[in-house]
Amino acid sequence: MFRTLLAATTALTLIGSAQAETFRWASTTDPQTMDPHAVNSAPVLGFLNNVYEGLVRRDRDMVIEPALAVEWRSFPVESQSAEHGWRFVLRQGVTFHDGSAFTAEDVLFSYERASSEDADTASWFGSVTDVEIKDDYTIDFITNGPNPIFPDSIANWMIMDSDWAAANGTERPSRDTENFATINTNGTGAFRVTERSPGIETVLEPFDNWWGEPEHNITRAVFSPIPNSATAVAALLSGEVEMINPIPVQDAERAAARDGVKVIQGIEARVIMLGFPHDHEALKFGDNAGDPNPFADLRVRQAVAHAVNVPAILQIVMRGTAEPASQLVSPAMRGYSEANAARPEFNPDRAKELLAEAGYPDGFSFGLKCPNDRYLNDASVCQAIVGMLARVGITAELNAMPVRNYWPELRADNFDMYLLGWSPGTFDAEHPIRFLAATPNTEKKLGSWNFGGYSNARVDELLPMIQTELDEAKRQQMLDETATILNDDVAYVPMYVQPLLWGVTENVTLTQRPDNFFILRWVTVN
Amino acid sequence: MLAYTIKRILQSIVVLLVVGLVAFSMFQYVGDPVDNMLGQERTQADIERVRAQLGLDQPFPVQYWKFISNAAQGDFGISYRQKRPVMDILRSSAPATLELAFVSGLFALIIGITLGVITAIRQNGFGSGIIMTLSLIGVSLPTFLIGILLAHLFAVELGILPSKGRGETVIIGGWVWSVFGTQIQFPSWRTGFLTESGLRALILPSITLGLYQMTLIMRLVRSEMLEVLRQDYIRFARARGLRERAVNFRHALKNTMVPVITIAGLQLGSIIAFAIITETVFAWPGIGNQFILAIRAVDIPMMAAYLMLVSVMFVIINLIVDLLYFAIDPRLRVDRTAGGH
Repeated sequence: MFRTLLAATTALTLIGSAQAETFRWASTTDPQTMDPHAVNSAPVLGFLNNVYEGLVRRDRDMVIEPALAVEWRSFPVESQSAEHGWRFVLRQGVTFHDGSAFTAEDVLFSYERASSEDADTASWFGSVTDVEIKDDYTIDFITNGPNPIFPDSIANWMIMDSDWAAANGTERPSRDTENFATINTNGTGAFRVTERSPGIETVLEPFDNWWGEPEHNITRAVFSPIPNSATAVAALLSGEVEMINPIPVQDAERAAARDGVKVIQGIEARVIMLGFPHDHEALKFGDNAGDPNPFADLRVRQAVAHAVNVPAILQIVMRGTAEPASQLVSPAMRGYSEANAARPEFNPDRAKELLAEAGYPDGFSFGLKCPNDRYLNDASVCQAIVGMLARVGITAELNAMPVRNYWPELRADNFDMYLLGWSPGTFDAEHPIRFLAATPNTEKKLGSWNFGGYSNARVDELLPMIQTELDEAKRQQMLDETATILNDDVAYVPMYVQPLLWGVTENVTLTQRPDNFFILRWVTVN
Repeated sequence: MLAYTIKRILQSIVVLLVVGLVAFSMFQYVGDPVDNMLGQERTQADIERVRAQLGLDQPFPVQYWKFISNAAQGDFGISYRQKRPVMDILRSSAPATLELAFVSGLFALIIGITLGVITAIRQNGFGSGIIMTLSLIGVSLPTFLIGILLAHLFAVELGILPSKGRGETVIIGGWVWSVFGTQIQFPSWRTGFLTESGLRALILPSITLGLYQMTLIMRLVRSEMLEVLRQDYIRFARARGLRERAVNFRHALKNTMVPVITIAGLQLGSIIAFAIITETVFAWPGIGNQFILAIRAVDIPMMAAYLMLVSVMFVIINLIVDLLYFAIDPRLRVDRTAGGH
């Protein structure tokens, strides 16, 4: 009887998929807002990339390509005396979802909105001093110096219609209250939001007057958040949704073995690493609390790097889904250092030697802080690390906690070692240097995630040069030098690049991008 | 009666204030909402500015007092996570929870009483034994496990029922009525009762949520029935030659209903409050789900409002029960004048 029922329901689903290309997908979090400038987070920006567009966008391989701008170039071309900046030539004949035309006025307005005090995206425009409209379809961004990665850093900056915003009283994003743009959208993108019930579902339909050539065959797309991963897997297996992001590591194999479901696996931009308390005087946790900080000694940090068996973590905890990492960015990022592609080898004997040389032949005890709901299998990874460190004689007392408690602890310096994942917002190797390796400096907004207070004069010197170097080869040379310094210093122990795992029904083809953005216009339902 | 009622209401208010105080003292340890509100590229200055904006830099008694004084005026603040007024969020997600609670309450009552009567009448039957054994599962298995198992069986393996969400919903209400020049707006209500997919979506979550209550009611009815069936008037009824059905249902069952209704009423509160787990398992967009999401995001206004809502509900249910006892039990009324013993 079960078989007949099964056959009957399969027949039903087949009929369902034949009549319309409604595509339903689910993710753990609902985008908090529909305002593209209010929250700088992947769920929001990823979702809104289907609805709003920027001057430039990323293609399937993360390379910048024209969107609302057809071309751009940096100036000055010859004279060094003139102002620095970027000129964008805008696409003509683009309309917003409400029918109004797109012009340079909207770009200026969106710049003002996205860089305002109320916006969460102001850091993208840190180097911009002025924006000048040259004509309806030409606009200049004046920067305080040469800025080679400016187009890369504004790939998620989305353009909003100035008249629409003014008419609806949403000229500024709002942090604490909702406004019209929190629920409503008016972009130029391939899809428009037709229905929005926060936390329940959001419905999108293709925008008929989109300037581009549609590559998808969706007539309607429905997104619903499913916070519980077991529920999401059930919904995928039962065909109630065509795609879930993510599918848990431990369910991926089981799901892929079933008929009608496949797992799409890729590499995310996020590198998972161990961090050290470089500027701490003493250990804070464990039996040796109060003793001088052993991690200040390079040899101890090297010992940790040799003691952690990354291949074993990847094989056992991550079930072969992740790739080892040798530096703060993954190979898919711009500015990745080929010269530093080798990880420190797993060598517990060498680790013991180094510890003995540093004066810790019998090891020591310290506290390892770890989140348990931030990265894929984060707490299990930390448990594995505790075991590996024990093998070379150092005892880590693991304290794993939810991420909502984790960041405050790290900010309060309550750690002897910690786990961190970093995904560069600009997809460029400069990003982690600015946030993780530069000496913390609140005024200059540097090193704001450098919890351990790592500081190297040469890195601090190189960073501004990297930020302003327009010559690719010279810039890469400096990035290589920085990566080498960070590896030689063992500023961090980069371990692996986190995987992306999406569960998809067999009849769907789509593209998975390393930034974990789900782009609807690349989806086809067969 | 009036003095008693006022006394109970005052006590209830104290209970609510204490609940709020405990909640707020705990929020200090739930985590920091600021990280969730700011992106990766935030600076220390951003963190401090947002903390100041939210009033998080103040000691918790101050935060608590602000919350209580605003709440007294019906203002529960703005959700940190969704940037919408908390009252709007609760209002829009309450129908989902209430409909779920209603259906699972109904399920628990009808199935529970039926099975209770059956197992009492056929006390030693084979079927009764099976039902009683199975009911142990309902009591002992945790809700989330039952939910996941049901979803796996009926949604994944058999594919006959949905595993998540409410299906298609229809918004009713929201009409504006003009009475003597004043506009009265009916609250709008998003219901799943009017569509087929909405009703189908209710089945698994209602069973999951109601299973515990069902077994509770079943066991209660059974033991009460067994008690009643031994009474003399049942024997007399049988002796008079009344039909078995009339004896069981008209005479016996009626007399077991008093404790059942009391328990069922009290359990309604817990059905609503404990819908949290069921809602999470089935991605049911109710207030319990909102609460879980609020915890993850350290959405303090949302958490506070939910906790207050649940305690108000329990306080009201208890108040009604107390007042009913007062009406029923004359000893409570003479309490004041009869003192001295």
